Amino acid sequence: MSRHNSTSRKLKLIAFLGWTGHHAGSWRHPSSNPNAGLDIDHHIAEAQEAERALFDAVFIADGDGWKSGTKLEPFTQLSAVAVHTSHIGLINTVGTVYNDPYSLARYFASLDLISGGRAGWNVVTGAHSAAEQFTRGGHPSHADRYEAANEFVEVVKQLWASWDEGAFVADKQRGILIDPARVNEINFRGRHYQVRGPLDLPPSPQGHTVIVQAGSSEPGKELAARTAELVFTAQQTLPAAQEFYRDLKGRLARYGRSRDDLFITPGFAPLIGETEAEARDLEHELNSYVDTRRALDLLSERFTVNLNDYPIDGPVPLDKAKSADDFDNVKSRQDVVLDPARREGFTIRQLLYRANGGHGHVTHTGTPLQIADFIDKWFNSNAVDGFVIEPPLLPQQFRLFVDKVIPELQNRGLFRTAYEGTTLRRNLGLRGTLPLAKAA
Amino acid sequence: MSNPTSRQLHFNVFLFNTGHHEASWRTASARPADRLNIAAVAEIAQIAEQGLLDAVFAADFQGGRASWLEPFTLLSALAVKTRHIGLIATVDTTYNEPYHLARKFASLDHISKGRAGWNIITGAGNGSHNYSNRVHPSHATRYKIADEFVDVVTKLWDSWEDSALNYDKARGTRYDDAKIHEINHIGKRFSVKGPLSIARPPQGRPLLVQSGSSEDGREQAAKWGELIFTAQGSLAEAQAFYRDVKARAPRYGRNPDDIRIAPGLCFVLGGSDREAREREEELFSFIDKDRAIANLSDRFGLDLTRHPLDAPLNLDNARPAVEVDGVRSRHQLIVDLVLREKLSLRQLIGRLAQGRGHYSFVGTPVQLADLAQQWFENGAADGFNLMPAVFNRDLELFVDHVVPILQKRGLFRTRYEATTLRGHLGLGPVPNRYAATGLPA
Repeated sequence: MSRHNSTSRKLKLIAFLGWTGHHAGSWRHPSSNPNAGLDIDHHIAEAQEAERALFDAVFIADGDGWKSGTKLEPFTQLSAVAVHTSHIGLINTVGTVYNDPYSLARYFASLDLISGGRAGWNVVTGAHSAAEQFTRGGHPSHADRYEAANEFVEVVKQLWASWDEGAFVADKQRGILIDPARVNEINFRGRHYQVRGPLDLPPSPQGHTVIVQAGSSEPGKELAARTAELVFTAQQTLPAAQEFYRDLKGRLARYGRSRDDLFITPGFAPLIGETEAEARDLEHELNSYVDTRRALDLLSERFTVNLNDYPIDGPVPLDKAKSADDFDNVKSRQDVVLDPARREGFTIRQLLYRANGGHGHVTHTGTPLQIADFIDKWFNSNAVDGFVIEPPLLPQQFRLFVDKVIPELQNRGLFRTAYEGTTLRRNLGLRGTLPLAKAA
Repeated sequence: MSNPTSRQLHFNVFLFNTGHHEASWRTASARPADRLNIAAVAEIAQIAEQGLLDAVFAADFQGGRASWLEPFTLLSALAVKTRHIGLIATVDTTYNEPYHLARKFASLDHISKGRAGWNIITGAGNGSHNYSNRVHPSHATRYKIADEFVDVVTKLWDSWEDSALNYDKARGTRYDDAKIHEINHIGKRFSVKGPLSIARPPQGRPLLVQSGSSEDGREQAAKWGELIFTAQGSLAEAQAFYRDVKARAPRYGRNPDDIRIAPGLCFVLGGSDREAREREEELFSFIDKDRAIANLSDRFGLDLTRHPLDAPLNLDNARPAVEVDGVRSRHQLIVDLVLREKLSLRQLIGRLAQGRGHYSFVGTPVQLADLAQQWFENGAADGFNLMPAVFNRDLELFVDHVVPILQKRGLFRTRYEATTLRGHLGLGPVPNRYAATGLPA
C-alpha cells in the first residue's frame, strides 16, 4: 500500500517538449517553428512555462548518433536552462554503451550543482546505429548491453557517493579546503569497468542525481527495480499499465526497496481541443502532414515485409510482424505498437495514425475535461503515479494543457498548487539518497 | 584614440577557483565555496564582459580532487548569462570521443551564437585509473592521438554545409541531402562515419586554442592553434617562443598572422607599489609551506624538506625535463626561472603559488599596462591570458583601471565590434572542406 492516502497522493508530471511536438506531422503545421530547436531562448521559455505550471521536470530524449540538425546536445541545453529556472527538474537521457561512467558521473554532478539539485539521468543503453560514430567493431547484443548497464549505473552511483557529508571544509584558519579523509576512492573493479575515483565534485543539495529508467523489457524491468527512482514506459491500455505497475512495484522488495522508492510515469500524448470536434480536426490536419510512404517505410522495420506493398485501408499483415526477440532496438516497444492492431483489428492507415500521434505512447483526443478524466482514471486505478506529457504540437498544445488541464487537475486535488521544494528529489517525494548496493 | 585598423591587444580571463594565487581562498573576503557556485562564476564573466575582454576560459582538472565545475556545463550556463564574451572550454583528447566532443562544442556554439572555443589538451594528468585502466599514453603518443582527434572533430563540424538545413513545410522536406556529408574517417586510432547530429556551428569552426608548449605542443600550435596559451617567464623567452611558433606556421600552409599568442599573466594590483607589495605579503603568509616543499621535492626528484628556506635553490641533481611525462614545458620553465633569477626556496614557493609558473606581476595599473604594451610591441605577445591573483578584486581592478589606460593608448577596443569569438580575435571564417571540394555526399 502507498503511504499516502487518496487525497494527498499527487500526480508526477514530466514535460517532454521535443522539437515541434510529438506528432510526426507537427513540424509542417503553420504554427510550429522547426528552426527553434537551435535557439536556446526558445528552450528556456518552454521550461519556464512548464515551471509556472508546476511540472516536476522537463525531459530530453536523446540518442548517440541521431541525425537531426536542430537538436542541441542535452547537457549544454539543460545547463543553460538551469540558470534561468529555479524549481523544475532537468532530466537528460544518456546511453551507457558509448559513454564512460566517470565522465557521465561528472557531467551530471556538475549539472546538479549548477541547478541546485534538479538533475535526473534517464538511463538507456544505446542504439546500434551509433556504433559507426565511435570507433567500435559492432554494437553489443541486448542482453550484454543490460549487463554492462547494471555495472555502469553502479559505478556512477558510487562516484556520486565518493564525497562524504562536509568534505568541502574551507577552514581558512587551519588552511584546509577539502578534507582528504572524507573524499574516498571507490576502487570499483567489475567485469566491464574499473574505476578508482573519487569524483572531482561534491554532491549537490539533492544528494545525487535522480535515476530514471526507460526500458520495459525483462532486463529493463530488473534494472529499474534495482536502481531506478522514476520509470518512463509506453503503455497503451489501462489493463496493460496496471499489469506493468503491479509487476514492477512487486519486484522492488527483492532489492530491499519500498513501493514509494520508485514512481511509474508512462508517456501520454493528449490532443486537446476546446471541443471534441476541434480536437478531431487538428488530429486530422496533423495526420495529413505525414508523408505516408516514408512513414510506412519506417513502420515496416517492425515487419518482414514493406507495408507500402499492401493496401493502406486493408488489414495490417500481423502474420508478417517480427517477434520482439527479433527486434533488437527498443524491444519492449514492439508489442506496445502492435498489440492495439491485434486487439482492435486496425487497418494499416489506423496503425499509422496511431504511431504518428505518440510513437507508441498512449494518445487521447478530446476536451480538457476529457483529458483530465483520462488522467484521473489511470491515476486512481493502480496503473500510474503520473505521466510524461508529450504534446503533439508545440507550443500550442502544451499551452492548452497548462492553461486548461492543469487547473482542472488541481481542482480535483490531483496535482500540487505549489512546489514542495527546490530539488527534483524533494518535489518527487523521493528519499534523500539511496542506500548503495555493495560493490560487485 | 584607437585607430580601428591598428593591431589590438586580446585578453582572455582564466577562470580558476577564488583566484590564481593558491592561497586566495584564505583571504578575509574570499568565499571558497564560490568555485562551485554558478552565480559567482557568472559574475566574473560579466565583469570581464564589462571590460570588453575577448573570452573567459575554463581549465579542466580531469580526474583530480580539484573541485571545479565541468567545463561544458559551466560554459553553457555562462553563455546565457552573457552576450558578447567568448567561452573557451578545455577538453582533453585522451579520455574523450571525437563525436561527443564535436557535438557538445557545436551545441555550445549554437547556444552562445558563435562564442565557443576549444582549448585542446592531451591530458597531462594520468586519468587512466578512472577510465577502466586503459594505459595512460606517453607524451609523444598523446600528441599523435590529439592530431587525429582534432582532424576528426573539424571534419564533423563541416559535415553539414551552412545551408543544409532547409525546412520546407509545403513540400515536406527538411534537408538538402546533397549538403550533408558522411566524413567516413578511418584513421589509425579513430573510425567515425558522420555526419554530426547537429547543424554546422555558427562560427563554422569554433576557435581552436592550444596550450602545450613542448616541442610536440609547438607543432600542434602551428598546425591547428588559432589562439595559443603559454607560460613564459621573461620577455626574452616570450619573444623566442613567439618567433618560433609563428615561424612553424607556413609549413602547415598557414599565415603566421592567423595565430594569436597569449602568455599567461598572473597579477596582484594595488593603487600604489606599496599597497600591491602588502597584498603580495599577505597572500604569501597564507601559503601552506610544508605542502609546497613536498610538491617541489616531488617535481625535482629531490628531498627539499631540510633545504634552508632562504638559501639559493640548488638544482644540480634535479630530474631533467625529458623525463617528465606531464607538462614538460612547464617543468623546464620553472628550472630556468630558478637559474636565471637565482631564487631561494622561499622565493620559488611564492612565485609558484602565484600563477603556478606563469609570469607573475605585482604592481600598479600603469605598470601592468606598460608591461602589456612592451610585450605586445616587441614581438612577445598578441595578448594575454589574464590570471587575477584574487577574484573578483584583481579582475575588477584590471577592468576599471588597466583597460582604460590601454584604450587611451589605442591598444584595446572601446566597444565589441564583432558578435563571435573568432570576430573578437580578428580571425576570419574557415571554409567548409566539403563545400569547397564539392565532394559527393
